[in-house]
Amino acid sequence: MYIRVLHWQPNAGHTVSSQILAEVSQCVESINGVKEGKWKATLSFYRPVLKEQANAAEFPRDFLGISLPEQPSKYYFVLRGQRLVLEADSTIQTIMEKLQSYKTRVALNFEGFQYQLGDFQLRVGKVVSIQSESLRGIVMEMEYRPISSWEKSHKIMGEFFDIWQEALSKRSLPGHFVHMEPNFGEFGLSGQYTLQHTAVQYATIMLQMIATAQSVRN
Amino acid sequence: MECVVQGIIETQHVEALEILLLGLCGVHRVRLRVHELCLKSGPNLAGKTVISAALVPKHQRSDFYVILSSLSPLGNKNSPFFFLCTHIALFAFYHSYRNCIPLYRTVRHVGGSMRGAGADQISVLVRTMVESKVSKNVLRLFYLLGYKLDHELLRVGFAFHFQRSAQITVTVSSVNKMLKLHATDEAVPVTPGIQLVEVTAPASAENYNEVAAAVSSFCEYLAPLLHLSKPGVSTGVVPTAAAAAASLMSYGGTTIM
Repeated sequence: MYIRVLHWQPNAGHTVSSQILAEVSQCVESINGVKEGKWKATLSFYRPVLKEQANAAEFPRDFLGISLPEQPSKYYFVLRGQRLVLEADSTIQTIMEKLQSYKTRVALNFEGFQYQLGDFQLRVGKVVSIQSESLRGIVMEMEYRPISSWEKSHKIMGEFFDIWQEALSKRSLPGHFVHMEPNFGEFGLSGQYTLQHTAVQYATIMLQMIATAQSVRN
Repeated sequence: MECVVQGIIETQHVEALEILLLGLCGVHRVRLRVHELCLKSGPNLAGKTVISAALVPKHQRSDFYVILSSLSPLGNKNSPFFFLCTHIALFAFYHSYRNCIPLYRTVRHVGGSMRGAGADQISVLVRTMVESKVSKNVLRLFYLLGYKLDHELLRVGFAFHFQRSAQITVTVSSVNKMLKLHATDEAVPVTPGIQLVEVTAPASAENYNEVAAAVSSFCEYLAPLLHLSKPGVSTGVVPTAAAAAASLMSYGGTTIM
C-alpha cells in the first residue's frame, strides 16, 4: 500500500465547485475506473481550552485528529509544527473529550466515492464542514496496493499521476490537482508506508487548502 | 466501566496468596512490571479533575510493560496506594523484561466512581474506564499538548486473569518510587514489607451489578489472607493472615514433614 493524497488547486480567480467534482468523477470513470462504493474520512482541528487566553502561544496551533476509512478502529493525531504523528485506537477521542483540555475547533468531512483501476484505487471526494456542509475543497487519494515501500512505489505512482493529469487536462477545468510530498522522515516515519503517512499528508494538504482559501478571500 | 476492590498483604504472605490464587483461578500467573509515569495538565490548561482510586494494571500479553498515567499527588496521606486521580493514564508495553523494546502503549482514562444509594449498597467500586492503544511517541505528544510529569512509580509483582461469571483480574504488586527520573533500576519500595492486591473486572452500565457480585463472591475466598474493599477505604492487614498462610504453605507441599 502506498497512498498519495492530492487536493484541487483552483486557478487564480476561480473557486472549487460541485461541477468540478462531478467532472473529476466522470474523468475517473472515463479511464475505466470502476466505482466500488462510498468513502469518507474526517478531520478535526483542536484548540486548547485555556484558563488565560494570553498564554495561547505556549500551545501547539496545528493540532489535528484524523480518522481514515481504511482503518476505522484507529485515529491519528498530527502536530504539524512539531512534526509528530501518533496512531491510537479510536477510543482516544472519548478520552480527549473526558480530558476537557482540548476542544474541536473545526471538523471537516472528506466524502465521495472509491474507484478501482487495476492495481490502483482512487478515492475522490468533497471537503465539507460538518457544521455548514459548504464545499471547502476537493481531495483525491491515489493508492497503489502491491508495494508498501515508499521509494519503490514512488516512480510507479508518478507515472500513473502523469496519465491521470493528461486525462484530466482534456476537460480544461479551471485548476489542477496538487501533490505535496511531506518529509516523512521528519515525522519519524520509515520508508514502509503506513496510514500514519496518510495522516501526515492530510495535515499537509490542509495547510495548502487554508492558504488557498485565505488568498481567495483576500 | 470496571469494578474494583483493593487490599494489602504483608510480603511474607504473598507466596501463600499465590498458591491460593493458583488453586482458585486454575491459570498460571503473569509476571507484572509496570512503570507508571503520572502526568497532570499544565497550569494554564483546563481539565476536569476526577476523584478516583489507584490505577490497576490490567492483564496484558507481554510480561513487562509501562504505565504512564496522570494522577494528581497522593490523595490519602495514610495510604500511599490511594490517589486523587485526574483522568488519564498512559501505558507502554514491552517485548520482554530485558530488551525493553516498546510494542505499543495504551492511554487509560479512569473516571469518577459511581455515587449514590445504589453505589453504597455494593461492596465494590464501579468507575468509568476508557483505554486506547497508542504508538510509542505518546508521552511526547502529551508534553507538547501542555501536560507535565507529576510523579512516577514502578509496580512489580504478578497477576492472574480468569473467567468466573466475569473476566476477573487479580494483581499483587509492590509499589516502588524512583529516586532519579526514570531510573527504574534504582526503585525503592514505598511501603517496605507490604504489597497491594487489586481485583478488577470490566463491566457495563447494564451488567455492573452482576460483575460486582462476581467480584465480591471471589473476594470471600481470599478473606482468611486479606480483606478487599473499595479503594480509599483501607482496612489494613487481616489478623488471621499468618495462620492462613501457614496452612496454605503446608497444603502447597512446601512444608517438609
